[in-house]
Amino acid sequence: MRDFIQFFLLCVEGFFILYMILYSSFLFLSVTVGSSDLYAAKRRNLLKNELANDYYVPVSILVPAHNEEITIEATVRSLLALDYKLYEIVVVDDGSTDNTTQVLRDTFQMWRIERPIQRRIPCQPEEEVYETRAYKVPITLVRKKNGGKADALNMGINVSSYPYFLCMDADSVLQYDSLEKIVRPVLEDSSTVAVGGTVRPCNGAEIENGRVIRYRMPGNLLACMQVLEYDRSFLASRILFDRFNGNIIISGAFGLFLKSVVIAAGGYDNTTMGEDMELAVKLHVYCRENGRRYRIRYVTDAVCWTQVPERIGDLCRQRRRWHIGLFQSMTKYKNILANPKYGAVSFISYFYFLLYELLSPYIEVFGLLATLLAFAVDLINVPFMLLFFGIYVVYTAIMSLTAFFARIHTIDLKLYPSDLLKAVGLCVVEVSCLRFVMAWVRITALFGYRKKNRTWGHIERQKIVIK
Amino acid sequence: MGAEYLLYGYGLVCLSMLGFNLLYSFHLRSDDRRLRARTAILRRQVGSQLRRIEETPDGTSHPVQTRHLTWMRRRLSRVNCLLAFDQLMDELDEREIACQIYIKQLQPVFLYLATVYWKRENMQAAYFCHFLARHKLRRHMEMDQVQQVVLSCLEKDSLYCKINALKALCSFGSPSVLIDALEELSKGQGSQLHEKVITEALLNYTGDIKALIERLWSQLERFSLQIQRAVLDYIRFQSGACCGRMLEILQNPRRDKELRLAAIRYFGRYPYPPARKLLLDFLSDNDPIRWEFASISAFALARYDGRDVVNALLRAMSSANWYIRSNAAASLEAHGLTYEEMLQVLGGDDRFAREMLAYRLKAKRLEEEAFVAAARAEEESPRREEDPVSV
Repeated sequence: MRDFIQFFLLCVEGFFILYMILYSSFLFLSVTVGSSDLYAAKRRNLLKNELANDYYVPVSILVPAHNEEITIEATVRSLLALDYKLYEIVVVDDGSTDNTTQVLRDTFQMWRIERPIQRRIPCQPEEEVYETRAYKVPITLVRKKNGGKADALNMGINVSSYPYFLCMDADSVLQYDSLEKIVRPVLEDSSTVAVGGTVRPCNGAEIENGRVIRYRMPGNLLACMQVLEYDRSFLASRILFDRFNGNIIISGAFGLFLKSVVIAAGGYDNTTMGEDMELAVKLHVYCRENGRRYRIRYVTDAVCWTQVPERIGDLCRQRRRWHIGLFQSMTKYKNILANPKYGAVSFISYFYFLLYELLSPYIEVFGLLATLLAFAVDLINVPFMLLFFGIYVVYTAIMSLTAFFARIHTIDLKLYPSDLLKAVGLCVVEVSCLRFVMAWVRITALFGYRKKNRTWGHIERQKIVIK
Repeated sequence: MGAEYLLYGYGLVCLSMLGFNLLYSFHLRSDDRRLRARTAILRRQVGSQLRRIEETPDGTSHPVQTRHLTWMRRRLSRVNCLLAFDQLMDELDEREIACQIYIKQLQPVFLYLATVYWKRENMQAAYFCHFLARHKLRRHMEMDQVQQVVLSCLEKDSLYCKINALKALCSFGSPSVLIDALEELSKGQGSQLHEKVITEALLNYTGDIKALIERLWSQLERFSLQIQRAVLDYIRFQSGACCGRMLEILQNPRRDKELRLAAIRYFGRYPYPPARKLLLDFLSDNDPIRWEFASISAFALARYDGRDVVNALLRAMSSANWYIRSNAAASLEAHGLTYEEMLQVLGGDDRFAREMLAYRLKAKRLEEEAFVAAARAEEESPRREEDPVSV
């Protein structure tokens, strides 16, 4: 029996050495490529290797909202402050039970209008349409029967007038130059069908007319850790995937799409919880199956500021939704796996998301159980295990800090010494504690997930501070 | 114990990353200071030459010293110094004769720099092109030799190098070189620049526009479709004298769809009677595959008078396509029909038409109200400033 356990643990050890080498190499590669890309972008801008601001691609900004009476006014005001000429704002109230519609009507003097809507993508029917032309760009508000975020976005696509649309969350604020920056990949390469922007936590930032005038690490420690996590996981890896047109996630909080291709691909799928990932993967599939030359890009300097949850319960709910969405998208398009037709999208992106995002919590728990077993039968070298864990924590923490500093250095944000201390201290806590809590949340996410389809995730909102 | 070495290896990676972060942080802090220092050195050197030129009564007999030209050649070969010189050029008043003479005498330096930066990495080559375009050096000197070097920058595998080189060539104002540039861009197999970028660059052309358009027409077939579309858009913004050639494109069904749509847009801007029948035919074509022709024709016919045009637009109001109905409604309004009249003419049977007209009517009222409110606010704003109570 002991021989069998020894053999089993040897196999587990071999698997984990390979798993960790692949993970740490990926992390190193993504942080190095991501940071060097950010530094190169800074130098590119200094040497005027950029498009000037005088090209305007018409864009419809879609804001799906459900019970957003607290944040919706600030969001629309931030959109009106955008430094861009050719755009419209379309807010879709997806059957809110609070005063979302009323707040918008009263604040922006919107009038009810009988607007014919061409249903190019099926969605729940509209109840009322309001418009105003009293601002620099037209604002349209569609109040519709509740159908979920994807359904609201499909309604927004149907209502929109322009060839490109930008989707965002109702609790987010776009930086003043974000629209100009996010359309640049379209101008650089007209085969671009989608562009993902950078989403950053706004907790702790003071924003005036879409400009960050003061940046502090959030006072809330949970939000602080998410700042570091966003830089390491999202910024760095998406820059790496962008190198080979392999991004399969465009955040629902900030993404630009070519409308005609999205309509041809069938729009957002309202049966999945992660409609943003589902759409990005769907676009890859649609373009490759139809032999269309395409690019899905990620830009680091187009920034959307969003509120990250400050309570552990809200964070768990958010991550549970993300994990379910990931699971649904990956199982729906499982034919991508090891499919040569999809090239790097299959063999790098899909493989990474499968092994290090979808299955990682299960693998981590399996590793923990194997460690306990080894401990029970006295087959573990405890000092080595502690050294291994210590190096893992320091390594991942330093990668987080490198990604964090790369971002801070390249956008000329000034950090206070207390913020530095927070970043250094909390990156260790994030890697050694929060990460395992989140692993547990993701493990339990798939239990009974089918009941939660088509519902809006609820997170306690706070008014975004915009001057 | 081999695994331990692996762990120590990762530890080393951590330390290197940490070291890199710290070093880069110090480097960034001193960046601005170094740029200011470089600009100050250049300012001193250029200032002494300007004073030397100003000291002579006619301003021309004292040329810039050869020693200075050599120094500038060496100095500006470094891109950070070129950045500093770029800043200094903003400070110089180009209306002053001494400054004009000075820049003119720098011509050999720019020629030398063109060959130097052409060999450099793409980012630096792109910056040199930007520098040439930004300061419109052609006003001060002949750029024939420089533009050949800039033209070769279009062959580089960098998008920004291509864009900045095209802008520089547009600022030089030579049609034949620009034609060569567009042909070079047409060869690009990689990313396709959006036609808006090319059109915008062409709109900054500083030479004889008429001559350029003539050359563009004669060489149109040498360009890729993307460039052809950009060229047609440029012509639409610049000249109404190309109706005959545009009509040929529109009439030819073998031509690319986007080119023919560009031609329709042209006739929307410059009404041309021989195009009228074709536009009406497109509008009455109910084939959903060609809805874009119908939609843009509906928009273009706003400037064509006649009962037949109005009737065709009224018929288009019953189209199943939202865009055709929307454009037809806008054009009918341009023909002087009020939405109430249109509703009367169409009767109440057609739901599509009725809905669209009712919507346009309300949207127009909203626009008018917004306009009145804005005008009122503008009127009141100076009064508010004068009112001490409001202050």
